[in-house]
Amino acid sequence: MDTRAWPSYNPGMKDVAAKIDVPADWLEDFEAAARRPLALRWKYAFIHTYKPVLDDAAYRSFDTTEEYRHWCELNLPDWLGYARV
Amino acid sequence: MPAFEYRQAEEVRDALARHGVRYLFIGKSGAILLGFPDTTQDADLFVEKTPANGAALVRALRELGFMLTDLQSEEICRGKDFVQLKNGPFDLDLVFAPDGLECFEDAWQRRIEIEGFPVCHIDDIIASKAATNRVKDRESLPRLRSFREYWLSKHSR
Repeated sequence: MDTRAWPSYNPGMKDVAAKIDVPADWLEDFEAAARRPLALRWKYAFIHTYKPVLDDAAYRSFDTTEEYRHWCELNLPDWLGYARV
Repeated sequence: MPAFEYRQAEEVRDALARHGVRYLFIGKSGAILLGFPDTTQDADLFVEKTPANGAALVRALRELGFMLTDLQSEEICRGKDFVQLKNGPFDLDLVFAPDGLECFEDAWQRRIEIEGFPVCHIDDIIASKAATNRVKDRESLPRLRSFREYWLSKHSR
């Protein structure tokens, strides 16, 4: 997909797009995020949504990362996306 | 549980610094600190796995308001590979052995500092997500790799 001809509201982005292969709509997102102060980026990014099972315990620990991945696959709903491909 | 506020992130940064904890933001929260526009609900911290660092982390977490039992504190000091905390003012995942990263020290040497937040290099964040290879990682990796291209174009001059 050649995204470099896509319209851009920021003329400077055309220069960046010419050098890197990034879809234009993503590039606009990245540029917009870069203009925001960190505190605002954080505010937009952290949104609490309840995740069944995962959020139902105050504390969990696993001896190995593999053990944690396996627990996720056995216990979490598929739609959460924690199962390995 | 309310959203993890930036003020709280600053408190994490400052408390862990006061106690001399060696850690890095990793995962999507790390990418967000680097400028990646996306959403998440918790922060993942890659913590150096040593007893002294674990003990310092426990002191910092208690100062931040996490209600840790003695057993939980001992597990963190010991450095279990993965600890999920939802018993404090916000959610935190402590990752002592992230997929795809061999050694904390190597990641530490490549770290990026963003307003005092120590963050894994974008290449390490991607390497870890690629190694984990969950459905949700597969979905986010193309955009994250594009962000890497963008980020490098801005920071490699």
